[in-house]
Amino acid sequence: MSAIITLSLLAVLLLYLGLFKAKKALLPVSLLGLLAAIVLYSIQWDTDAEPLYSGMVLFDHFAVAFSILSLFITGLVFLLSRDYFDSISEHVAEYYALIIFSLTGALLVVSFHNLAMLFIGIEIMSVALYILVGIRKRDFSSNEAALKYFLMGAFSTGFLLFGITLIYGATGSFDLTEIKNYLIANPHSISPLFYSGILLLIIGLSFKVGAAPFHFWTPDVYEGAPILITTFMSTVVKTAAFAGFLRLFLTCFVPLQDFWAPVLLVITVLTLFIGNISALAQQSFKRMLAYSSISHAGYMLFGILSIGAASAGAIFVYSAAYSIASVVAFAVLILVKRSRGSEHFEAFNGLAAKNPYLAFTLSVAMLSLAGIPLTAGFVGKFMMFSGVLANYHIVLLLLAVLNAAMGIYYYFRVIVAMYFRPADREEVTVNANYKAVLFIGALLTIAIGIFPSLLAGWL
Amino acid sequence: MSVFYFVAFLSIFFALMTIFTKNAVHSVLYLVITFFTFTIHYILLNAQFLAVVNFIVYMGAIMVLFLFVLMLLNLNKDTEPLKSNLIKIIGVIAGLCLVVTIAGSLKLLETSNPVVLKDPGIGLVSNLGKVLFSEFLLPFEISSILLLTAMVGAVLLAKNETKKI
Amino acid sequence: MTQAEAVNTSANYLPILFQLIVAGGFGVGTIIITHLIGPKVKTENKLGSFESGIEVIGNARQPFSIKYFMVAILFVLFDIEVIFMYPWAVNFRQFGLSGLLEMFIFMALLLLGFIYVIKKRALEWD
Repeated sequence: MSAIITLSLLAVLLLYLGLFKAKKALLPVSLLGLLAAIVLYSIQWDTDAEPLYSGMVLFDHFAVAFSILSLFITGLVFLLSRDYFDSISEHVAEYYALIIFSLTGALLVVSFHNLAMLFIGIEIMSVALYILVGIRKRDFSSNEAALKYFLMGAFSTGFLLFGITLIYGATGSFDLTEIKNYLIANPHSISPLFYSGILLLIIGLSFKVGAAPFHFWTPDVYEGAPILITTFMSTVVKTAAFAGFLRLFLTCFVPLQDFWAPVLLVITVLTLFIGNISALAQQSFKRMLAYSSISHAGYMLFGILSIGAASAGAIFVYSAAYSIASVVAFAVLILVKRSRGSEHFEAFNGLAAKNPYLAFTLSVAMLSLAGIPLTAGFVGKFMMFSGVLANYHIVLLLLAVLNAAMGIYYYFRVIVAMYFRPADREEVTVNANYKAVLFIGALLTIAIGIFPSLLAGWL
Repeated sequence: MSVFYFVAFLSIFFALMTIFTKNAVHSVLYLVITFFTFTIHYILLNAQFLAVVNFIVYMGAIMVLFLFVLMLLNLNKDTEPLKSNLIKIIGVIAGLCLVVTIAGSLKLLETSNPVVLKDPGIGLVSNLGKVLFSEFLLPFEISSILLLTAMVGAVLLAKNETKKI
Repeated sequence: MTQAEAVNTSANYLPILFQLIVAGGFGVGTIIITHLIGPKVKTENKLGSFESGIEVIGNARQPFSIKYFMVAILFVLFDIEVIFMYPWAVNFRQFGLSGLLEMFIFMALLLLGFIYVIKKRALEWD
């Protein structure tokens, strides 16, 4: 909890730094704050996890691992933010503060132990994002994205709240332990309200993670938002939303698996196919990443579908691999867009000749997203698929493998463009922060790919 | 009980009017009336604090905001694009699915046991305060962060940039 | 539970309802009665909108400044804050010092936000 308090105060401090024109201090102070939060979480790792504050939050290994992952990825995003916000607007401090606020919400979502906390965490996370998506006020697509995201987000929160209400109506409590005890105590006389509650919760959370058929906002919002905000959304927010999803289902709803698994199965298969098939048709790299993030949501839903002791570890590794690779991909996209002014695949032509370092790190990220062995993405996919194989029919696995093959095709388009399509271009200038992020990203991707136990042992 | 059915009828009637009226300002005003009927529901349930909050915050403040938003828009032109019939039909089907699901879960019409009102004074301000400041203290404190976020966002979005970009 | 709380139901608020009806009825009644007993002049000048004697120009429905909206939205936020003080104030004595601190933490964060808004000159009408 001390980490969450630190972060809230950090955000307020950043706001005031912005008031007193201390722009230079913003980035170091935020990074220091994130580091402090990571340290505070690491200290908690070995202590016995008890629900705190009348059972509102629980900092078990699950919560701490996902929190550290979110903090780490936010740190990478902040490193990329040097000079980035200056070009958008003069209120730089507010962007840092809002990202930290959003992160605070994400940390609450991964560590909730009461549905009231889940709701308030999701709200803090989303309200900050609605604003961040629309920070380019004079840009039409940014406005559209913000409005779409806000309306869709508010609508889905309605479903979520209704679901929580019905579950409260059936069990008389918001507490996860109480809800679980209710299910164990009345295995045969569960109130019908409870079933509707689960369905509505699935709908609300599917909206938040961008799973089909509730994915319609994702491509437009990801494309309209500034690239750095898209990076934050598709990594930290998605990870946190999945962690919250999994935490709710893993703690409470396992006894009712026969009821909700078919619904989730349909959502998963739809998400995979819609994400991958649409990604095939894209000409813009950013939009392709948006659709591919939908398909990755599909893979991560496998973890919830084959719920069990291993699913937390699988989702953790998968989201770590996916987040790190996405940060690298978006970082290169920012650089390429800055030099070429375009987000299309053609903008990457001949990148390998002039910027071999950029091309190499992006290739590693793409290989990881595609799930090629020796990268982190492969480990994540492997853990997911083995979970599916243990619990489900082989047909589902074949569908997943088919989708992975589709993914390989569109991820390789970028690599082909970079290495085999010559084009006249100048060298892209890369500042030290970007170099560092790309290095860390590529290194971690390969390290996790070769030594999976680095992460897989956490949960 | 008959009061309840009458007010419930009014709620649904005005909610439908909110959707079906063409004039945006009328729609907001119908929504105000809908919220007012909710206030009456809260009073019937003896949830006095919620009734006051609903009256002051929702009807008073938030609905005024809605009207402000309408005034920010340019309502002179008829800019509303026509929705295709297909989308309308799909919307109706989806809505009915939701209704069937909810109705299915309520079909037994049994009063849900765990939350049967044992204490009729549960909705009183002082009782609510006791729960808010003991059991739900953390969400209460955290909600200040939510309000702060909204504050920063409002300033950020509504403030004019001095530098033209 | 004390005797006063035990009988605290919505029926106790009936006098307030009567007061509302009387207050509202007086307002509405006055308007209706003035319409009934007042003289009725229906010329074009009388029915047109009054702009200090100048001819009416343009349309009254124009998008207006976003500054009003900002004031309104900040009002709503602080409105919500104040609403939270109500259940706290009712139990003030019972909560003692810890309750005071809890409320002050909540208030302090929002006060910081308020100072930020003032410092940012968001409420200035330049």
